[in-house]
Amino acid sequence: MSSSLRANPKFNKFSRNILSWGIWNSWLLNTLLAVTATLAAYIVITATLTLSEQIFWGLFAFCMILIIRRRPWGRASIIMMIVISIMVSLRYIYWRLTNSTNFITPLDAFLGWGLVLAELYSLIVLLLGYVQTAMPLQRPVMLMPPDQKYWPTVDIMIPTYNESLSVVQTAILAAQSIDWPADKLRVHLLDDGRREEFREFCDQAGANYITRENNLHNKAGNLNAALRKTDGDYVAIFDCDHIPTRSFLQASMGWFLKNPKLAMVQTPHFFFSPDPFEKNLDIYNIVPNEGVLFYGLVQDGNDLWNASFFCGSCAILERKALMKIGGIATETVTEDAHTALKLSRKGYDLAYLAIPQSAGLATESLSGHIVQRRRWARGMAQIFRIDNPLLGRGLTIWQRLCYSNAMMHFFYALPRLVFLTAPLGYLLLGAEIFSASAAVVLVYALPHILISTITNSQIQGKFRHSFWNEVYETALSWHILFPVLLAMVNPKFGAFNATAKGGIVKEEYVDWNASTPYLILLAINLIGFSVGIFKLITDYGSTSTLLINLVWVLFNIIIISAAANTAKEARQLRKSPRIYKRLAATIHLPNGKTVVCKTSEFSQIGLDLKTLTPLEIPLGERILISIFRGNKEVVLPGTVTRSGNSIGVLLEGLTVEQQKDFTQITFSRADNWIYSWDHDVADSPLRSFGQVMTYGILNLLPLMKYAIHDLLLTMRAQGQRKSYSKR
Amino acid sequence: MKIISIVSGKGGVGKTTICANLCAALRKNGHEVLAVDFDPQNALRLHFGINPADTSGLISNGHQPSKWNEVIVKTTEGCSVLPYGKNNEAEQLDFEQLLITEPNFLKERLRDLGLSKDTIVVIDTAGQLAFLKQALIVAHLTIVVNIADAASYTTIPMINSLIAQYCEDRSDYIDSFYILNQIDRSRQLNGDIADIASMQIGAEKISFIHQDQSVQEALACRTNVIAYAPDSRTTYDFIDASLAISKLIAENSQPSSKRNSF
Repeated sequence: MSSSLRANPKFNKFSRNILSWGIWNSWLLNTLLAVTATLAAYIVITATLTLSEQIFWGLFAFCMILIIRRRPWGRASIIMMIVISIMVSLRYIYWRLTNSTNFITPLDAFLGWGLVLAELYSLIVLLLGYVQTAMPLQRPVMLMPPDQKYWPTVDIMIPTYNESLSVVQTAILAAQSIDWPADKLRVHLLDDGRREEFREFCDQAGANYITRENNLHNKAGNLNAALRKTDGDYVAIFDCDHIPTRSFLQASMGWFLKNPKLAMVQTPHFFFSPDPFEKNLDIYNIVPNEGVLFYGLVQDGNDLWNASFFCGSCAILERKALMKIGGIATETVTEDAHTALKLSRKGYDLAYLAIPQSAGLATESLSGHIVQRRRWARGMAQIFRIDNPLLGRGLTIWQRLCYSNAMMHFFYALPRLVFLTAPLGYLLLGAEIFSASAAVVLVYALPHILISTITNSQIQGKFRHSFWNEVYETALSWHILFPVLLAMVNPKFGAFNATAKGGIVKEEYVDWNASTPYLILLAINLIGFSVGIFKLITDYGSTSTLLINLVWVLFNIIIISAAANTAKEARQLRKSPRIYKRLAATIHLPNGKTVVCKTSEFSQIGLDLKTLTPLEIPLGERILISIFRGNKEVVLPGTVTRSGNSIGVLLEGLTVEQQKDFTQITFSRADNWIYSWDHDVADSPLRSFGQVMTYGILNLLPLMKYAIHDLLLTMRAQGQRKSYSKR
Repeated sequence: MKIISIVSGKGGVGKTTICANLCAALRKNGHEVLAVDFDPQNALRLHFGINPADTSGLISNGHQPSKWNEVIVKTTEGCSVLPYGKNNEAEQLDFEQLLITEPNFLKERLRDLGLSKDTIVVIDTAGQLAFLKQALIVAHLTIVVNIADAASYTTIPMINSLIAQYCEDRSDYIDSFYILNQIDRSRQLNGDIADIASMQIGAEKISFIHQDQSVQEALACRTNVIAYAPDSRTTYDFIDASLAISKLIAENSQPSSKRNSF
């Protein structure tokens, strides 16, 4: 938690005192308070104010937010900010619905109502988001009893389909290294690719190799088939590119023993390689990535409402509970979330433990990312259609809201595109999408936008920086729009796509498939901007309305430009992403001498070593490398690929035993990911806006250059083809 | 003055090398150090760059041990070294006889040196029982050196029983510390023995010195490995060992944390 969220002790004592009063248990008082509050809220939301009164109200709310934001009241200040933000936003939407929708022409009405609906969607997601994230549970680790006879048996399942052995073997070896009684831990590789070399590797490593005849229901089917062939009390599931640390089970299993109704514990998906946004925008370790918000805050918030859901990997499920719902859900392409929903409906508890106990590969390219998100979006829409959490039995109201928000989240595509094009309605088509004057729109909309932005920034802090949400959503919205719409129409449509990971990008290139829609969108917005400027100069139309729309278009241009740049695939030459971690090491030279060094980075296939003074070793020399952890030492053979200031070593010809040693002393160290997990910087809305603006504007010209260059190449190629056909 | 006796149940495990390098490491960590060669091989001096032709030492004046102060050599790094010295067979036999008849010979001579309170005396002890007894009787801390092979490992109980006999009843005795020399983890047995030893003895009371050619080369250059190859693993190992040892000594010098002598 950021320091501003920690309440000062005096305030804590004060609030505990107040909460200890007996009157809070009074049914009458609570009802009275609720009725009063509702009435007050109704007045605040619907009161008719003059323009200057509304300005005063907006300023008042804004100042309150700024003051409360800086108070050391911990969660209390967040809740107060949320209340103010909800009041201001509801007041805005009330005004919007009652005073700005008297459209004149059908075009105005069509575009105007489109925008209103998009705003309504955003408001609902905003409110649900507040419910979800107001009070993250921050569940601690529950320790296992010292006597191991109470420790249950666990099947670790690693499903794979088309991933390479080098990716999978690290996961297997790390899973085998988990600290747990050996007779109660079984590691299974579930190979839907039915590959002989995988079977051989499992035999050597002592893991169980499981296949089935068909690939029905993909990952869910694969897991269900394996469930029938195993019998452990619990099932831990890891995608084959997620590497568990040795502490995974001991940290996560305790809650099952504490709570017999618990059916699942999910831990964060932590990635040690940059995702396409981080890689292509070069924001790795600067701006928290897309997943951080979900695993850092949303899941933890869900946990308060007993609604944190299964994410397909890095989780433990109780076999008995899983069998009660017929195994992993197979009706949708997001089997994980649906499985959690079904467990909740049966009355089981779900838990989320926000401590990274594993790490994995992020999606390697934007197109890969899009494929993955398309599947998630389609699957969530499917669940919304066939097993809507708002309907049916067995859920608390809070679970319904949390699950609904998780699904509705993926409907952002259409509203996002509406926001990105809305000002063009006025600038290009002359449509009046607000039936109100620019000044009135401003005094209602500005408090709503500013206060919700600041409140969200306070809640999300280091998990998601302001305005990056817009960039992330924009980059994906076009691509998930149709899958979501199709799934809403017909949930049966669509196939499962395994996400490709661990690939290489030899040369920087622009993925036009992924970026074309945004370039077109960008072009239209640039045209809209120019037209707006032209209208401004020639005094055509209301100046204030023009200005508002111009600012809006400019904001959209920046966001779209930043988003479109994620399609510019940065070079990624290494097949195995590297982890930057300093571990004590030693080089054993062929002449029997040793040199102390530290790793500067390591991957699944090699190491970079840093010695105190430059060291020259002939390239290709076979050396031994020791890596240390306390008194533990692992010695591995390798080939020198670079020497001098830093020594590059390719690990070659490792036995399975040595690979296991290497995995244990590097990837599966229990403390590996905790530091990076908590390392993101807190948000500052203004700085973040500056960042997004810089990325958007600085990248605009190079992107245009790329676009024109590629366009010319295509045209030339077509011209040549024509001239060939003439001959 | 704290006295550390370096002992082993078996010859050829690198006691002298350990003694010399450990002294250099302790000195590097800021301690006043006196290295005493209590072994007729008279080899310790070679590790400290003392001219091989200089044969004076603690026995060279026959039975006039009061002159020990005169034969102590100060090295460039600041270690004080008391070589054993050279003698003929008859003198050697006489000396061994003396050691048997005067069990406190070493103790008294060391006391006569009038060393400061903070000085650490490190005694490289010969394998003969007469020498071993003398060194054990004076020791505040014993360092048992072994190499990670089966033959060497089996001698530990023997040396431990001697330590129990001569040291553990004394209230000024601190503990025994273990050093496993010439570790090579790329060999399975070697690594296994190291792990077992670490488990049995306790990680805070054992240090590992890696197999390293630099140690031999340092001796050939008449110096210690810490000066010769500062980046080598063994240099780090010796520094780590010296830190663990000074920690043991410091913890037991404070009256509050003194062990209960049961």
